Amino acid sequence: MGNASTWRSRLMSESHGFTRHGEELFVAQFSDSEKEVLINLSQQIIELLAERVDHNDQDPLAAMVGITTHDSPPDDEVLLRLLPNAYADGVDASEFRRYTESVLRTKKQAHAMSIRTMLMSSEDGSIELNHDLANAWLGGINDIRLALGVRLNVEKNSHEELELLAPDDPMRGVYGVYSWLGWLQGNLLQALMDGLES
Amino acid sequence: MESSRIRSIYGGDQIVVKTKSKIEEEINAIFSTDRPWVTIVWDDPVNLMDYVTYVFMELFSYSRERATELMMKVHTEGKAVVSEGTREEMEHDVARLHEYGLWATLQHGDQG
Repeated sequence: MGNASTWRSRLMSESHGFTRHGEELFVAQFSDSEKEVLINLSQQIIELLAERVDHNDQDPLAAMVGITTHDSPPDDEVLLRLLPNAYADGVDASEFRRYTESVLRTKKQAHAMSIRTMLMSSEDGSIELNHDLANAWLGGINDIRLALGVRLNVEKNSHEELELLAPDDPMRGVYGVYSWLGWLQGNLLQALMDGLES
Repeated sequence: MESSRIRSIYGGDQIVVKTKSKIEEEINAIFSTDRPWVTIVWDDPVNLMDYVTYVFMELFSYSRERATELMMKVHTEGKAVVSEGTREEMEHDVARLHEYGLWATLQHGDQG
């Protein structure tokens, strides 16, 4: 990956982002490099979430009804941001996690999967989303941005600082993709909001 | 969710240390109507402002005006109460907000 600004301007100049077609169709055309980036990052999210899948000693009945053996928060910072605590109180948070985390994981994987499979089956890079798929894509793109945001430490680093990363800093490329995804997400949101009455 | 709560109060298969006062607190919570449970959304540096507004409109059917107001409150004050109701309803709201990547928690009453 090139540096942030090169990557972003290259990707942005290739894509026009999403436009609304009619009542409820959102259409975009992705280049090969854009497709590749999105497929790759969606796959990484799917795999990362799968790392939390329960061990073999899981009670099959519990697994069937979506109860997991996990009741402690993930050690990995990215996973913790994707699967956050629902309560400040540790006991309540554990209990909630135990009964809900596997459902949340599955839903997030489904969002990432819809991005991945749609792009993989689109030979020319054209994508058409209805309202539900647009929501899945928004959630999926957001999860990728959350993951990259943790890696870029956007909590501490300002956008100005990230813009000024050295050309040979590997994070510069990551920041370029992060910025592009923000642009793509904003532009899908714009297309969606244009049709919503306030 | 309800069954899980009863399970935890009465033990279940996990060792849950809940003091008597904690149990009383939960029982009081069930019967108290003046202090509802609330869902709080916290500010974070990644989520786009438009995205947060859109999620509030989609999940809660809030008007664009109301959703924008709540988003601005999260953005400027660091957090905002976005819904109120029973504990079960708030757990449902938090789960849906987590699905869309917003940083949300629930608590009893609006403690700040």
